[in-house]
Amino acid sequence: MIFSFETWQITLFSISVGLASTLLILPFGIALAWFFARKEWPLKSVIETIALLPLVMPPVSTGLILLKIFGRRSPLGQWLYERGIEIVFNWKGVLIAMSVMSFPLLVRSVRTSFAEVNPRLEQIAATLGASPLRIFFVITIPLAYKGIVAGALLAFSRALGEFGATILLAGNIPGKTQTLSLAIYNYVQLGKDSEAYILLCITVVLAFMFVWSSEWLLRAGKKT
Amino acid sequence: MLLRCRIPLASFDLDIDASFDARVTAIFGPSGSGKTTLLDALAGLRNIAAGAIEIDGRTLFSSARGINLAPRKRGIGYVPQEGALFPHLSVQKNILFGAERDTDSGKSEPINMDHVLDILEISHLLPRPVTQLSGGEAQRVALARAILSRPRLLLLDEPLAALDIGLKERILPYLARVRDEFKIPMIYVTHNLTEVLTLADWVLMIRQGRLIAEGVPREKLISAEAVTQLADEQLENVLTVNFVQGNREAGNTQVRLASGTELFIPYLSSPENPEFQIRVSADDILVATERPNSISAGNILPGTIRKMDRLDGEAILTVLAGDEFLVRVTASAAKRLGLKEGTAVFLIIKTRSFSL
Repeated sequence: MIFSFETWQITLFSISVGLASTLLILPFGIALAWFFARKEWPLKSVIETIALLPLVMPPVSTGLILLKIFGRRSPLGQWLYERGIEIVFNWKGVLIAMSVMSFPLLVRSVRTSFAEVNPRLEQIAATLGASPLRIFFVITIPLAYKGIVAGALLAFSRALGEFGATILLAGNIPGKTQTLSLAIYNYVQLGKDSEAYILLCITVVLAFMFVWSSEWLLRAGKKT
Repeated sequence: MLLRCRIPLASFDLDIDASFDARVTAIFGPSGSGKTTLLDALAGLRNIAAGAIEIDGRTLFSSARGINLAPRKRGIGYVPQEGALFPHLSVQKNILFGAERDTDSGKSEPINMDHVLDILEISHLLPRPVTQLSGGEAQRVALARAILSRPRLLLLDEPLAALDIGLKERILPYLARVRDEFKIPMIYVTHNLTEVLTLADWVLMIRQGRLIAEGVPREKLISAEAVTQLADEQLENVLTVNFVQGNREAGNTQVRLASGTELFIPYLSSPENPEFQIRVSADDILVATERPNSISAGNILPGTIRKMDRLDGEAILTVLAGDEFLVRVTASAAKRLGLKEGTAVFLIIKTRSFSL
């Protein structure tokens, strides 16, 4: 099968923005997941619910909220626009939409893996003179890394599949904001079924690879 | 060392007020009496409602003065019951984890790693992953890790509880060596009388979160109160002896107690260390008021009853026969023989009743 330039372009764009969004949310997701797993504070459950909201809300609704937040008429959008940063209808919009939509999946997976790290090990590390940062990086992260990698893979797969929020925030502009999902929708609309099927195959292969490796890692994580 | 703390728990309050200064202090009491909670509080892993903790004149916690040092600043090495080795690190990395502790929290004198490894006989384990250690090896590695963090105090939470009896007897001497070699004060939590008598020179007896007695183990543990706690435990005599000679044909070995009294124990070729410990259960010692003439038992020791504690249906005798021996007899036997404090008796112990 010979891929057209357009197919390559769409695939590479999706993968690179998806990757960027995963890398962007990783530090925040890990930090938040750690706070959820290890700390108690007032209204924790409210914050947890808000963080997980994009997982269950219709993606289009989330997209609309993002459009209202980043649109040029909002205070934030205005402020960014004055500094030459435009989010709406370009790749940055895709990045934001993917990040917001995949964030809850990352947090959920990482929180579970942190919760499975025996807190006694962290306590004993503290009695041995280790600082909280050293405990986090030398004990907690290495013991939870499989869950973190699995969460990142899941988040990345979710980012690749993103449609609803992306189309509202970034539009569906070929060569500019068109991701795999948006392009499939576009091709089907235009009756270009064979192009749509090629992209479909690519998404199936990518999704299979990521979900399978994420599951494999989670299972391996449970064994040790 | 000063230890005063009140910690509300689900079913009772842990309320301890003790001040002691010993090489090894045993915290002795039944399961669920708050022993581990107390160690956690000492190490700073649990909140204390009110109280104060001082070690060597250094205040670790004081509710009155608003002091609460973080666990990493307390300079306390903690060996929890399960060992809590870091499963993703090798034995070597586990052992060295605490070696970087800053000197203001730990002891300033360095501790030689090779010496620790020799004493605990774990040098050969260094490259192994900790997941491949046996229970006894894991406990020794956890102990080495705590020692090498140069603590001012070592907390040991039932380090032998998870081990089977054979292994327990092999680890106990290591603990005694650590006590003698490194001069780090230890607090040793256990519900096993033998461990207390073997290792500790001070005991805090705890029940339901309260301190019910404290003192020198041999004196305190032989009280009626202590014995009632030993329902499922054997009341045992632990004696330190010196090897005299072994006789393979006769099937026995002659040993000498510190008091000079000689005993026959089962045959040993020749022990590694001429000084070692032997045990005999308080239930395996017979008492006679006259010297028996022809009897198979290898040891007949003249002595005097120094103390007698009467319990339900039984009496615990503390008999001075060179060393002190604990003997448990039924109430009817005590009555029949007319036993009381000051009675002269003979203790009869079969050679084979002694174990190492």
